[in-house]
Amino acid sequence: MATKKILSVDDSIIIRKIFKGIAETLGLGFLEAGDGQQALNVLADHHQEIALIILDWNMPVKNGYDTLQEITTDPRYKHIPVMMATTETERTNVIKAIQAGAKHYVTKPFTQEDVLVRITECLKA
Amino acid sequence: MSPHLDQKTLDAILVNAVIQATTQVLSTMAGTQVTCKEVKAEKSYRPCGDISAVIGISGEKGEGMFALSFPLSLANLIVGRLIGVQPDKISSEDRCDGVGELVNMISGNTKSVLSQQNNTLYHLALPTIIQGRDHEISSRPKNAPYLVMLFEAEGQQFSLQVSFITKE
Repeated sequence: MATKKILSVDDSIIIRKIFKGIAETLGLGFLEAGDGQQALNVLADHHQEIALIILDWNMPVKNGYDTLQEITTDPRYKHIPVMMATTETERTNVIKAIQAGAKHYVTKPFTQEDVLVRITECLKA
Repeated sequence: MSPHLDQKTLDAILVNAVIQATTQVLSTMAGTQVTCKEVKAEKSYRPCGDISAVIGISGEKGEGMFALSFPLSLANLIVGRLIGVQPDKISSEDRCDGVGELVNMISGNTKSVLSQQNNTLYHLALPTIIQGRDHEISSRPKNAPYLVMLFEAEGQQFSLQVSFITKE
């Protein structure tokens, strides 16, 4: 059976590298995308392997919120848990994301330990 | 409901929020302790360091920019800590991206304080990177002063400069 993978969607290479390290710690595979549209392209090809999507909010081309809405309304992807990881801390945006189907909402800055716990919770759910 | 804030009150809120955000971001993400050594208002941008990440902020009640500037060696050290790599192994791409992400986090956290205090939503642009010794930045709102905050980390100095004006 293929290893389950985390899909990290963030325009920052550094943030994607941090999540790649966390995926390795958890024994998970890793896929990445630099914006929402790239994420949807990756999902189209690999959705059966993806156990969790970690999504930034502010990105070029297609932002995280629009991407979240597309993921959670697509029958092929809506079972995949999504965790937002973003600098958007305004309460209204957190509520919008949760209402759109995000399972967890992590604000930057974060410790790797905190993110590890949240990812583990998402994967158990 | 928050009343309309005058520029001096807003500047004080900004300085406190930026210092707190800078300290928290570098401590949480890179395990780097930061001390704010000096805060001053200046008429023009104060060149500081070899690499800067600049990000614009805009909203109904104001607009401005944040510029985070590091000497190369400190940028390499901090970005290396973000991803667990030795400073001498940091690529130019990682350094630029890492400094951009740091200004994104600092301005993002400051933005939420501003939004609460000013009872409005602000939006951030995507960060831009500028490199070169003693480079200057001139993307501030017209005639707005710079709030210059000088920090120290690992025995080296870096700066965060903010220029923000309220709209009537």
